Amino acid sequence: MKQLVAYVTAGFPDKAFTLDLVSSLKQSGVDKLELGIPFSDPVADGPIIESANLKALQNGFKLETLFEISSVVATELETYWMGYFNPFYHKGLDAITQKALDLGVKGFIIPDLPHEEALCYMPLMQQRRLSMVSFVAPTDTKERIAHIVKHAQGFIYLVAYAGITGAHAGEDLSKTIHAIKEQSQTPVFVGFGVNEKTAKERAKGVEGVIVGSAFVEVLLDESLSGTQKIEKIAEKARIIKEKINA
Amino acid sequence: MYIPRASKFDPDANGHFGIFGGRYVPETLMPILIDLEKEYRKLRFDEHFWTEVNHCLNEYVGRPSALFFAKNISHELGAKIYLKREDLNHTGAHKINNTVAQGLIAKKMGKKRVIAETGAGQHGVATATIAALLGLECEVFMGEKDVERQELNVFRMKLLGAKVHSVKSGSRTLKDAMNEAIRYWVTHARDTFYIIGTVAGPHPYPMMVRDFQAIIGYEAKAQILVKEKSLPDYVIACIGGGSNAMGIFSHFLGEEGVKCIGIEAGGLGIETDKHGCSLAKGSPGVLHGQMSYLLQDDDGQILEAHSISAGLDYPGIGPEHAYLKEQGAAIYENITDQEALDAFVWLSRKEGIIPAFESAHAIAYLKKIPKDEIKNKIVIVNLSGRGDKDMVQAKSILNIG
Repeated sequence: MKQLVAYVTAGFPDKAFTLDLVSSLKQSGVDKLELGIPFSDPVADGPIIESANLKALQNGFKLETLFEISSVVATELETYWMGYFNPFYHKGLDAITQKALDLGVKGFIIPDLPHEEALCYMPLMQQRRLSMVSFVAPTDTKERIAHIVKHAQGFIYLVAYAGITGAHAGEDLSKTIHAIKEQSQTPVFVGFGVNEKTAKERAKGVEGVIVGSAFVEVLLDESLSGTQKIEKIAEKARIIKEKINA
Repeated sequence: MYIPRASKFDPDANGHFGIFGGRYVPETLMPILIDLEKEYRKLRFDEHFWTEVNHCLNEYVGRPSALFFAKNISHELGAKIYLKREDLNHTGAHKINNTVAQGLIAKKMGKKRVIAETGAGQHGVATATIAALLGLECEVFMGEKDVERQELNVFRMKLLGAKVHSVKSGSRTLKDAMNEAIRYWVTHARDTFYIIGTVAGPHPYPMMVRDFQAIIGYEAKAQILVKEKSLPDYVIACIGGGSNAMGIFSHFLGEEGVKCIGIEAGGLGIETDKHGCSLAKGSPGVLHGQMSYLLQDDDGQILEAHSISAGLDYPGIGPEHAYLKEQGAAIYENITDQEALDAFVWLSRKEGIIPAFESAHAIAYLKKIPKDEIKNKIVIVNLSGRGDKDMVQAKSILNIG
């Protein structure tokens, strides 16, 4: 069965909401959780996730909020921290990986920490049995892919197109997927621009999809009440899970 | 002919200056940066390429720029003050030294479009200029706040045929313009060349831009040796990202008896939270593709900088400066908005030279050096740009009847 990974911006609009949302996502068939850490300068993200990031920070999000949320959700769903490198670096990789371990978080997804810069943190990750998720992009050559995925842990995050999250773009990924599969058994999940319409196509040849902006868009919709938002996102998750497995 | 030289401060193979620098970008950009680095390795000491660059710098930009003995302020301070006149370059600042070379590389790599971020607009104008000359499409990203305070430069860019994107997110200044430029770059990675305006960003930009701006130091050194038969005691330059400072420091670093001093934007004072002093008040972190000193909070969220000068209004700094600071190879000080404004008027009245607000920070530092210390010393100040772009803002602040 193909898997669905859900990205949600932690603490947006607040902690209690995130907890309710995650419970509901689990019931809708979501397999893994990417808990997004709001950052002031999210350069890999499009306007939807950027906006959720900035609003969460305005609402007073702190890393302490993330820890509180994680202590609950990591017991419900396989949870990864998705965040830009600076907050992790600022807290110290030793301290932050220890915290992840204590809270039962499985690993890290850091979009601005490419393979070369991540290498020096690999021993620490391995020692604590945490995954540092590798990114592969459609601009990568076969040689570079081989290099990146050789030691891939957890899953491989395949970026669906050259661009930022939540764009209406798409590329033929068959060659890239082939190059990954030649080198690695690690499951591949495709992310960026995945929604109800694109999910089936994006899931071809891989083990699952990652959905972010399509969910966060609902979080930003001010015409909906909190309950309505959760219902709508859960419904989207159910549809996507169904489509990728149809 | 100017050709860069290898420096003992060159970064390692992955672009690290000590712990600083590196490449902290989304994976999509990594192959693009690796290609660029390969291309630059080929061109760095290539005579053919540098002949082309030098031709453009001489005939189009108007280099070499003069090293002007500023006799009136020299007299007032009891020292020998020389101004490296980057303000006399085509488009009015040092920025064009870099865009000429990057534009030629973009062309060589077959890219059809160039993009740039800009604070004060000088780099945007310099990029739009070279794009017009080389027949490249050009899109410039500029914070909405800067679009307002630098409206003349916005018009210049448009006149030159560039498209200007007014960036409305975050602090609406240079930091956010750079975020948006990076997003555009990731999206158009295959056919777009990002002309970064300062010695920052992912490797190889900090090294590349330093090499392109090092012509300032190369000329200044030769000029001072002719005029004074001696090296200067001080070399002073303002720092936002740090390209004009890196450029002039490059040929003086490590020289016995020469103090290289970089001036950060002190804004309303470094005891307040309104300044741009990432070296004085920041700590190491990662932003915009590099590790360097950053203004950030307890959680590693980036703080907004403040400066009267749009070109210095940035919460980070080039990684090589962070490295030079830690190595003690250069000294870093700061100047407030008010001190810079005073120097802006002072230089205008004393020498008939209206400096850019950015450069006025470097000029202002002359008065901060204790009198007995500066007495009889030879000083070079990098006058990185002219003040034309600041006229509207100056007019609204200064009470000149």
